[in-house]
Amino acid sequence: MTKLTIVELKLLTREPGAIFSLLIPLFILVVFGSSIEPGDTMLLPMALAIAVGLVGLYLLPTTMATYRERGILRRLSATPVRPGNLLVVQLLLQFVLALTACALLLVVAGTVLGAHLPTRVLPGALTFLLGTAAMFAVGLLIAALAPNGRAANGIGVLLYFPMAYLAGLMQPTDQMPDILARIGEYTPLGAFRQSLRDVWTGGAPSALLLGVMAAYAVAISIAAAKFFRWE
Amino acid sequence: MAVIEVTDLRKRYADLTVLAGVSFSVEEGEIFGILGPNGAGKTTTVECVEGLRRPDGGSVSVLGLDPVKDGRRVREQIGVQLQQTQLPENIKVWEALDLYASFYANPRDWRGLLEEWGLADKRNARFGKLSGGQKQRLFIALALVGNPRVAFLDELTTGLDPQARRTTWELIKQVRASGVMTVVLVSHFMDEVEELCDRVAVFDRGKVVAIDTPAGLVDGIDADHQMRFTLMAGDLVELGGLPGVTGVTRTGNQVVVTGRGDFATAVTAQLARHHVLVSDLRIDKRTLDDAFVALTGHSFGSTH
Repeated sequence: MTKLTIVELKLLTREPGAIFSLLIPLFILVVFGSSIEPGDTMLLPMALAIAVGLVGLYLLPTTMATYRERGILRRLSATPVRPGNLLVVQLLLQFVLALTACALLLVVAGTVLGAHLPTRVLPGALTFLLGTAAMFAVGLLIAALAPNGRAANGIGVLLYFPMAYLAGLMQPTDQMPDILARIGEYTPLGAFRQSLRDVWTGGAPSALLLGVMAAYAVAISIAAAKFFRWE
Repeated sequence: MAVIEVTDLRKRYADLTVLAGVSFSVEEGEIFGILGPNGAGKTTTVECVEGLRRPDGGSVSVLGLDPVKDGRRVREQIGVQLQQTQLPENIKVWEALDLYASFYANPRDWRGLLEEWGLADKRNARFGKLSGGQKQRLFIALALVGNPRVAFLDELTTGLDPQARRTTWELIKQVRASGVMTVVLVSHFMDEVEELCDRVAVFDRGKVVAIDTPAGLVDGIDADHQMRFTLMAGDLVELGGLPGVTGVTRTGNQVVVTGRGDFATAVTAQLARHHVLVSDLRIDKRTLDDAFVALTGHSFGSTH
């Protein structure tokens, strides 16, 4: 299990997609970050949501569907090791990647850009956990349904843009049509961004939105497990 | 001792019967061939033996264990090369071997396998950069890294050029030379099983139609062989009375002699004795292809 984790970690660092997931949100942060006001509470939650969304919707399903497509899971099931171990290791590493991407954003925003960071850690961590769980669940469902890695990649990208728009990652929610902004708030990515925003403005994230993310995480994960095929 | 015992194995997918009662046993130390056209049920059978599929009926025993119930203990002692599996593009050759070695309780030293399979200079190459032959050798090395008692090699030369196929055959002989390991070789190449296998189970439409040595299968064909030649000088002498000869037909200078057993030796001796000069002498040697036609009533390439 240790060796499997080490090898998978090496593979992840060789994956251009992983580097993009780190750099794209950072790029957005730096480009827009140079013109924000010191007390801004919009940009950083947006960048964090983009980072988690990229890992969950793009990298996770593509990796997993590719592993199935290439018969890697099947090959593993012919060894004493269960192929489920590989999925667990992957989930863990993708989570670490999402965490790294967010930590990078926070450090750069906090030091170079001098952006506002929330003082209360716990609500932030809880929001991050639930939001990541919800996005990973969507990613797992894509991995379960996509016939191959390329399809998973396509579905991920196709889902990413509408979800990002509804979540207010393309333009601030107050510039969006009311109805779309309201709907968007209850999408996995929208609930995540809004909850982060609540944390940034110093309040507690709404229990409703946290519940929405938890519900997505559980329901979609169950669906993914139901549809998942090993080969 | 039988290492693998398969009895009346049955498997259906929806309304398609893939295995209709397959039985055979594999002895310790032999290279056992599973031969048949595509769709004959070869891979399904082997996957049931490996514990990757559950049969609908019948029983399988591998090293005295049930591959479904004692899956982990069985997989600890077998090595598998599967059809159509790949590794991640970016994994390095040594990493793959090192990783797979870590799955087993008592693995072989993968550095030795690198040498043995001619991959030492590809040690740090990524899987995606390997040639077809190198990938194939890596898969075989991965099948052996767990120090298995039985190795399953499924269609291992499919997609290789003739040169690479020959090389792979030598390597398989080497596998056997290296120990008493039992090898189960799945193939749809006649020449491959003829070259490598001690015994062969011939599969057709979900059934085993014969089990024998490759030579035994060919000898078992109940049909005449043919010998052809062209007369150059001298008159044709009487050949019909020679032992084993069943018929002689002559069309101009073309002569076809049919017969059984060692009739060809008798015919050539007779011709030499009477100073009959012939050219284009050909003896149609029976092959496993002919054996397959004889056993199933249809040619190897067609399934109907």
